Amino acid sequence: MTSMAQIELEHVDKHYGQFHALKDINLTIPKGSFVALVGPSGCGKSTLLRSLAGLESISGGTMKIAGERMNGVPPRRRDVAMVFQSYALYPHMTVRENLTYSMRLNRRPKEECEKAAKDVAAITGLDELLDRYPRQLSGGQRQRVAMGRAIIRDPKAFLFDEPLSNLDAALRVHMRKEIRSLHDRLRATSVYVTHDQVEAMTMADHVVVLRDGIIEQQGAPLELYDHPANRFVAGFIGSPAMNFIDAAVSETGDAIVLEGLDAVLPIDRRLQPGRQVKAGLRPEHLRLGAPENSSIRLEIAVVEFTGAASYLSSATDPELTIFHAGRVEVKSGEVVGVSIAPELVHLFDPVTEERILAQSGSE
Amino acid sequence: MAHFWSSIRDSRGFDALLVWLALGYLTVFSAFPLVYNFVISLQTVDLFSLASFDRPFVGLENYREVLSDPVAGTVLWNTIRFVVLSVVFQLLIGFGLALFFQQDFPGSSYLRGLFLAGWIMPALVVGAVWSWILAGDFGVLNYVLRSFGLIDENIFWLSDHQVSLYSVIIANIWLGVPFNMILLSVGLASIPQDLYEAAELDGAGAWQRFYTITLPLMRAPLGAVVSLGIIFTLQQFDLFAALTQGGPSNASNVAQYWSWQLSFQTYQISRGSVVSVLMIVFVIGVAAIYTRSTRYEQNY
Repeated sequence: MTSMAQIELEHVDKHYGQFHALKDINLTIPKGSFVALVGPSGCGKSTLLRSLAGLESISGGTMKIAGERMNGVPPRRRDVAMVFQSYALYPHMTVRENLTYSMRLNRRPKEECEKAAKDVAAITGLDELLDRYPRQLSGGQRQRVAMGRAIIRDPKAFLFDEPLSNLDAALRVHMRKEIRSLHDRLRATSVYVTHDQVEAMTMADHVVVLRDGIIEQQGAPLELYDHPANRFVAGFIGSPAMNFIDAAVSETGDAIVLEGLDAVLPIDRRLQPGRQVKAGLRPEHLRLGAPENSSIRLEIAVVEFTGAASYLSSATDPELTIFHAGRVEVKSGEVVGVSIAPELVHLFDPVTEERILAQSGSE
Repeated sequence: MAHFWSSIRDSRGFDALLVWLALGYLTVFSAFPLVYNFVISLQTVDLFSLASFDRPFVGLENYREVLSDPVAGTVLWNTIRFVVLSVVFQLLIGFGLALFFQQDFPGSSYLRGLFLAGWIMPALVVGAVWSWILAGDFGVLNYVLRSFGLIDENIFWLSDHQVSLYSVIIANIWLGVPFNMILLSVGLASIPQDLYEAAELDGAGAWQRFYTITLPLMRAPLGAVVSLGIIFTLQQFDLFAALTQGGPSNASNVAQYWSWQLSFQTYQISRGSVVSVLMIVFVIGVAAIYTRSTRYEQNY
């Protein structure tokens, strides 16, 4: 991987009439990296991807692909390939014809097309299917054709628009790995749109979290998990989702008092006593223990087992979810003790929702 | 009896009832007239024997007489020109309009709706309006052409033997365009937008997208529109009745109008039947093509 920027977005804006879909987007994607754009529906991630493809025009800012300014350049002159959510395979063409469509448009010799189709079919596992029509293929096979059609062009960037959302869960996990390993083999630059944070976390080198047309945070997947910049990112990244509880800083300044739970949690930083905060506790960071030597005591309402793990929901208001790897001997109605390491307590400002940094608290 | 009513109330009996109703309707109103028409074409029928089934059987004699009639050649050639020109121009204009209204511009759906006006008007009324437009001495078409300096003297659209057939064709094209446009619009609308986007990213320009995506995917709707257009054109009777009555001297006469003239104006009913039997054979062939073309319908 080189550090040369393959895609550069500077102050990109997009308006649909009154609606401001993308707001001042700044994003640099190094050559060969895998970037995931993730966010809830309507956050602008698909609009951003379609703008990169040239299917939407941007209202302001600059967009560069491989150093070339792309504002106003039509899609077919951008040399990017896109894998659509619906796959968008040409239904009247065989797999071979689908793969070689771009080459045939360029009037490349037949033998060259045939060889390229064979090569790509070998990479994507479509060798036996070249003469089939899309309607004769399964969902996973169609997905592979859509990828093959992109690969055969050796484009400057691959754009993926939620390519796995039409597949069933098992196949999705499989294709996730397949796409990532293809990316590594081809050393391609990929931009991947998804609403599924697990896909983003597992596949990407760099995750961009969008909400309402704004980049809320971008960075390496674990960076986002460990240091979410605000409450939205904290709640969006991680599964099951983070617990949020209103709290106030204790008189000593080195602990917080959880509202409604009558519990005091030590924290690893000093904050102004009495300050209102939003505490974020990841379910997997909550440790079960004996009630008498734990900081939080909870009555458990529901216990769910998946075999490998247990999910406990408390009967308290606010409700807490606890993730426990392995099995627990807890029944509903029982009172358990829960504790958390001080450095794992996330704190957010209740008004701005921004992360409260370790040193900034004593203002 | 009780068993019969209970079988009607459960769905199996009701299904069967509906099927028999449809079959009965088809037998009485379609199959019987077709067969009866065919039988008449093999018999000598005059006004006296019209009321009885027992008429002299003459084999293919009527067919021989009709085909050796000097009018037959003119009518055949007129019918071919009428059908081919009508269908070709209806298709070209209809497809062009369908593509035009597919571009989502403000008011496109309202404008498209206006084009349906021609479709909902009775053909006889359309014929009456066109007979005024095309009138030789006071018609608005001649007035327009003269104003633009395209012609020096009036063309007698309906009574000139060289143009009368084309006058009916023009009116018929106008009548058939909305049908073509609507059917093709539906076909165009069902092509997913992302296919065009994928093709665009694959490097296809507007014309390439039309030839490699739109046309092949429109194969089924185009086949349907052509087949139905041929059938509708072959049953276009009202315009001839309203505009030229096949004249002057059969210059604009076509098979369907000739068949009617033979049967109901000169009462050569057997000969009229012969013409319609020949047309039915042709239409069955077209209908077969239509049925085949629906096989290429795409499921996206």
